[in-house]
Amino acid sequence: MECSTRQEGKFMIVTLAGEVDLHYSPEARKQILAQLNDKNHVLVDLSGVEYIDSSGIASLVEGFQLARSKQLEFGLVGVSEAARQVLELARLDKVFQIKATIAEFIDH
Amino acid sequence: MAEPSNITPTSQLRKRIEQLGLVVVRGIEEIGYMFRLLYEALEWVVLGRQRQQPVRVSSVFSETMQIGIQAVPIIAILCFSIGVMLAIQGIETLKTFGAEAQVVLGIALSVTREFSPLIVSILVAGRSGSAIAARIGTMLESQEIDALRVIGINPVRYLVAPIMLAMLISLPCLVILGDVVGLLGGAVYTKIDLNLPLSVYFDRTFEILVVDDVMQGLIKSVVFALIISLVGLANGFQVQGGAEGVGRATTRSVVMSISLIVIADMVFTYFLNR
Amino acid sequence: MTDNAEKIPVVEVENLVTHYGDRMILKGVSLKIYQGEIIVIMGGSGSGKSTLLRHLLGLHKPTSGCIRLLGKDITKLNNQEMYEIRRHMGVAFQGGALFGSMTVGENVMLPLREHTDLDEQTMQIMTRLKLEVVNLAGFENLMPSELSGGMIKRAALARAVVMDPKLLFFDEPSAGLDPVAAVELDELILKLRSALKMSMVVVTHELDSAFKIADRITVLDQGDILMTDTVENVRNSDNQRIQSLLNRMPRDDAVDTDEYLRRLTGYN
Repeated sequence: MECSTRQEGKFMIVTLAGEVDLHYSPEARKQILAQLNDKNHVLVDLSGVEYIDSSGIASLVEGFQLARSKQLEFGLVGVSEAARQVLELARLDKVFQIKATIAEFIDH
Repeated sequence: MAEPSNITPTSQLRKRIEQLGLVVVRGIEEIGYMFRLLYEALEWVVLGRQRQQPVRVSSVFSETMQIGIQAVPIIAILCFSIGVMLAIQGIETLKTFGAEAQVVLGIALSVTREFSPLIVSILVAGRSGSAIAARIGTMLESQEIDALRVIGINPVRYLVAPIMLAMLISLPCLVILGDVVGLLGGAVYTKIDLNLPLSVYFDRTFEILVVDDVMQGLIKSVVFALIISLVGLANGFQVQGGAEGVGRATTRSVVMSISLIVIADMVFTYFLNR
Repeated sequence: MTDNAEKIPVVEVENLVTHYGDRMILKGVSLKIYQGEIIVIMGGSGSGKSTLLRHLLGLHKPTSGCIRLLGKDITKLNNQEMYEIRRHMGVAFQGGALFGSMTVGENVMLPLREHTDLDEQTMQIMTRLKLEVVNLAGFENLMPSELSGGMIKRAALARAVVMDPKLLFFDEPSAGLDPVAAVELDELILKLRSALKMSMVVVTHELDSAFKIADRITVLDQGDILMTDTVENVRNSDNQRIQSLLNRMPRDDAVDTDEYLRRLTGYN
């Protein structure tokens, strides 16, 4: 149930872990939106996520929307198979920038 | 039940008595059901917040719009007509005694104590009581009530309590409106017929009227509000058999609530005037 | 999904007996449903399948027996505990049961409003996401009366899964739909299960649909469970009643021409 942030290259990395559900996602949302409002490029690291429900996905969507309106970069890293299936269900896998590692975003 | 064969006069009598008993039992059951609805609704109003499932102010508001505000024009027309009618009758009757001027007293008391609450309640019973029964019945038939329950929304909290509160708020307000418009109707006709100025008419009216007279009407209206909402709701929740059943429940709720209102009014008038 | 080594039951029904008035409807039904599986409850009209569903939903109190949902016996829960369980259950009713006074979007969002205090924006996105999943994107401002039968079912499904429930109940998904819409809905059910990992109880009398989506099938007849088994085994069952249900034939007798003519003409 933690939601840590750290700087890496030009990106702020927001790391989510455990179960991103109705209780946890408001906190995650707050962190993501706060970073974007500070004009940081944001990567969300989902590699420690065991389960993400649609409130979590909704928070990511909101973040992505805000990033685009502020012309900031927003990407997802370490998307697990389970999370990918949930994204695919709403065809969001074709919308988000998804890469396997943080390095791939930085080198890009 | 008794054995259906060998129809003798005694067995027929017995059957009648059994049927009567059944009707009585069903009636008592229904009254019990209404009181349970009332109790549960009050419970949700009081404890809802504590249970973190409050009765929503917004739904009470929207129900009040439908039951109360939208009824204002028709109530105004009806009560104005009643005021005029009372003036016509009063002046005619009092002429025989040469006491036409006393008509003001008659109108003031009859409107505030009797006619305004009665007419307003009958109108609301026909307009909203039937709508309540129809709406609840339709929701029951289309499984919307089940849907509420499986989502975890108690139908008493979500539907019953707002309707009851809205009725309890609307009816007294409409009665006050009815009082004012009814007196105005009387005043206008008295002005035309007896050439009594409106200011004099109202001065006299307020000399005669005491708070008790208006309160009598308001107390009645609270009871009538409970009758209309409970009868409408109970009939709605007992709907069976599709659209036809909804129609039957609607009719039944109107007839039942108007009858109960008139009977209750008689009882009230008896006790309040002693 | 059926051969997991460790199967966790999400629904356990034991010896469920129910009455309607004096009439016994369910005569001691027992059933277990495991995590992640789709079980189809099948049976003709009057078999008691709707009654069983209504009891699983906690809409009625049974005469005896117990029903455990997610490990809790719902026949013994108080209102608050039942309320908690309901957060994890989704139900799509036969006729949709969408609230006629609300838009499609408000309908789908209602469980979120009642059960969570998420940000308005988050709830909006979750609602639209689920409408997207059921192919109703852009329909959120319509009233239910403006939707077709298939769309209503899909909207009802969206409302049922908006909270990501662990348990989804679906009453007659394909009833009243044209064949194409019915197949699409079946596909959607399978897709939802695999992405959201929910366990599903589907009540239906449509065989095609049942065979397509079920991991296991329970056949109910006159208040008794005839068998609960895999699709394969149910199809190959030699039980007479099951076979007549599967073949949609009341009887399989050869037609005796003389007898038949006599019956039709009334001549002896």
